[in-house]
Amino acid sequence: MKMIQSRLAFKVPEVKPAVSKEPFRIGKFEVLLDRSKCTACGLCAQVCPTYIGSAIVEYEAFKKPSGILRVTNARAMCEGLVCRKCVESCPTKALTVRINPQYLILGDKRWTADLILSTWEQAESGKPSGRYEYRVGDSGGGFDKIRFDFELEEEVSINEIFEAEDRDTSIVLNRRRDGRPEISIPIPVYSADMSFGSISLRVMVARAIAAKAWNTFTSTGEGGYPNELIPFKDHVITQVATGHFGVNAETVKRARIVCLKYAQGAKPGLGGHLLADKVTPKVAEIREVVPYISLFSPFPFHNVYSVEDHYRHVQLIKDINPKALVSVKVSTPIDVDMVAIGSYYAGANILQVDGGFGGTGAAPDIAKKNIAMPIEYAIPMVHNYLVREGVRDEMVIMASGGIRTAFDVAKIIALGADGAVIGTSELVALGCKRCGNCERGRGCPSGIATTDPALSLLIDPEWGAQRIINMYCSWKKQWNYILSKLGLSSIRELRPKNEVKFRKGRFNHLVHLDHLR
Amino acid sequence: MNTGVNRLNSTFMRYHIETREAQWRFKLPPKFRVKIYNNCVNVQECVQACVYNVHRVGEDGRVAEPVEELCRGCHRCTLSCPKGAICVELNPAFERLGDSYFTPERIENIFFEAETGRVPVSGAGYGGAFSGRGFDSFWFDFSEIVRPTRDGIHGREYISTSVDLGRKPHNLFFDDSGNLVSKVPENIEIPIPIILDAPLSSSSKSNLNLALAKSASILNTFAIVSADDYSDDLSDYGSNLILRIGPNEARKVAGLIKTSPIVELDYADNALDENRITDDLRFVRKVNPAALVSARFLGEDSVTEKSEASVKVGVDMIHLHVEDETVVHDPDVVKRIIRGTHTRLVERGIRDQVSIVFSGGIAEAAHVPKSIILGADAVAIGLAYEIALGCKVCHGSKHEAGCPLKVEEGDVELASQRIVNLVGSWRDQLLEVLGGMGLREVRRLRGELGRAIFFEELEMKIFGDEDDSE
Repeated sequence: MKMIQSRLAFKVPEVKPAVSKEPFRIGKFEVLLDRSKCTACGLCAQVCPTYIGSAIVEYEAFKKPSGILRVTNARAMCEGLVCRKCVESCPTKALTVRINPQYLILGDKRWTADLILSTWEQAESGKPSGRYEYRVGDSGGGFDKIRFDFELEEEVSINEIFEAEDRDTSIVLNRRRDGRPEISIPIPVYSADMSFGSISLRVMVARAIAAKAWNTFTSTGEGGYPNELIPFKDHVITQVATGHFGVNAETVKRARIVCLKYAQGAKPGLGGHLLADKVTPKVAEIREVVPYISLFSPFPFHNVYSVEDHYRHVQLIKDINPKALVSVKVSTPIDVDMVAIGSYYAGANILQVDGGFGGTGAAPDIAKKNIAMPIEYAIPMVHNYLVREGVRDEMVIMASGGIRTAFDVAKIIALGADGAVIGTSELVALGCKRCGNCERGRGCPSGIATTDPALSLLIDPEWGAQRIINMYCSWKKQWNYILSKLGLSSIRELRPKNEVKFRKGRFNHLVHLDHLR
Repeated sequence: MNTGVNRLNSTFMRYHIETREAQWRFKLPPKFRVKIYNNCVNVQECVQACVYNVHRVGEDGRVAEPVEELCRGCHRCTLSCPKGAICVELNPAFERLGDSYFTPERIENIFFEAETGRVPVSGAGYGGAFSGRGFDSFWFDFSEIVRPTRDGIHGREYISTSVDLGRKPHNLFFDDSGNLVSKVPENIEIPIPIILDAPLSSSSKSNLNLALAKSASILNTFAIVSADDYSDDLSDYGSNLILRIGPNEARKVAGLIKTSPIVELDYADNALDENRITDDLRFVRKVNPAALVSARFLGEDSVTEKSEASVKVGVDMIHLHVEDETVVHDPDVVKRIIRGTHTRLVERGIRDQVSIVFSGGIAEAAHVPKSIILGADAVAIGLAYEIALGCKVCHGSKHEAGCPLKVEEGDVELASQRIVNLVGSWRDQLLEVLGGMGLREVRRLRGELGRAIFFEELEMKIFGDEDDSE
């Protein structure tokens, strides 16, 4: 009853344009103009009024008698090699169309340039343009080889997605009936733990505003609870991690959910590491340490070496805050199912399983690539085990680590999770380009994963929040569409009731392309 | 037992590799090219935007040529230029480095490790392929909650990376009064599971061998040197050298055998011939009874049979080698060779009577623990240190300007420091992995397939049909 009320009270936030503040944008194609051949006849601008016609080539640059100019346009995109009208119309052959070399270096196999660009589009306007792939990456396995069966049957059109009627995408974060609140969130995601230190305070605030607007949660991460987040306390998870930075009874009592972080998918078995450069006086104050000294969080909790210790650890939090839900964040060893059942008996409400391809502010490359298994394997293992033990319906399983798109979220739910925890996608919405330089020197050159006071000014919290809100608006539409395609009324029905078992590459509306027979 | 630590110093010291910045005489081509097109009208937004100082204002007050080596590919300048004048692209010269296995990124990492001795660290999640072949087809398992991890990298707990070379008896015999009557064979303990293979390329071998011997002595491990390449300058490092002798060479180099702690009989080019191994072994034992004897086999062809036979006739070590070029074309060969040989010897109950050293396709730090998980005791690195010294991975095909891998006489010190740095960085990464797995010594990792998560198995278990996986 209480749940229904809260759902009625919630109003889906509005999409408001939040365009990039950068004057230039990366497109897939671009036009080069050879000034020594150009006679300024203007034919190209006539055949292509949207792109070349409204391009910004400075008069001063055009006055130069020779050299190659890039024809750039902050608003429209070049249609590329299929069009070439400008090239063909040019009487002096001064124009060439090419794939933008910057598009080629953007992103990586998991986060392709297309995924980054389409996430930016969704953050700006609440809708992907369809120009770029917005569902899968190019890693050659896992999500990138899994499709919903309807995707194989016909093209998914953006218009159809945005016309799909509203479906129930809410999930409940406590199913234990342990007297603690049954918190419901209207979308099956909340936002991941990132500390002040790994990201800037302004980014944390942006994420908190977005979490409040979507009536979901964000997390403090391991870097303490900055006062700036107190206005959003109903939407902020307090994380208790091995370093215990800024963790005290007050911050544990403040939260509706407390997360015990045992491991992180990107560097499981290793502790946290914040390099000295990023420990500015403000970071140091909140973490109660000395500035500009590298900070290590040990691995693991040295008070938890057994399931019994784990039980006491969970109970400790529950005793301090009788109303909070306890979330346990673990990574994915081969026996992750055992860990899951242990956490169930320890009394956890939420189990967050963080897969090996998860994000990090800094980790040795050897760990990121080689330790722990991907989330696509871990979730079915955990789900199946809990089903067999007969306790699946009491645990909430949140998947994280390598979940990039609305379709990834839906796929992981169809593989046995209740919902997902989103980190990197939110940062990409804010303008992250996945360049991987978060850890060095002043930190992120885009002002996201930085503690540098000047760089962090690049992100305005209100603007950033709107971009994250817009991204989730777009995701929400995509979930509506998937559910309507599958004939389901609620995203909770997408989670399998029984064990995950693929037959001939198919299971629960999913198709694995490598195993399809 | 002749331990690595004791050979260095009579009192106990924690093993530590001293790394030092060591700039090689050339650099790799920068990864990115930063081009400024004619659109530039000198608004200098890029100078403001770049946090890596790629863009600067020149003396003439205009935007100067970008410093490409400093570029990290963050796209900041390109996005903040109001005229769209800046284009950052992948440098084709960088892309051309190496091949599909020794990728430009791997070469870049090796260069960084050799230069600084540090562990490559970066932000954001892993961006590579979901899985791959060979060493890339499995992940490490790690400790969680109920299995304590070990903190090796920050020095709070000591994790041993020592391994033993040599045979261990299957069982011990005691007389009635409890005295040991078995003769326990000599083992040699090396403090890292990495030895330096003999150089592959032919250019300026003598200096390279000297640099290798020097590094081996600093690291307290071994460098393999061919009897043909043996020169007098190496005699100072004799206790850190493994003497490799080719077919029918043994009798010609009896003098060298006498002073070598380990002798490697190279059967790379030959079919299995137990009599010959027996003969050679008998000869080496006669000349130098204390030396360990290793048999080296090349490639996959009947390697398990050869290994089994040579253990039975009494060799102390097996060196399994596969050409790097073979691994490039068939990365899974490493799994078949190491796992196949290890499993065969375990099944025959003779695995502990020999140490297995593996070489070939070792291109990054993770390949050391991965070889060990598959069943090797130690690895020998070859191409990796050659890359650190300028090899461009041509696999024997000639460069127009000659092999770029040259260790000039004056460079020996620097070259050995780079090798030491590389091994130091790899050891630190080994410690990270062991710590994460909760292991206190690398010996326990050998053949521990339970500490590996294999892609094929998981993929079938989760996404395959049940009938197929059984």
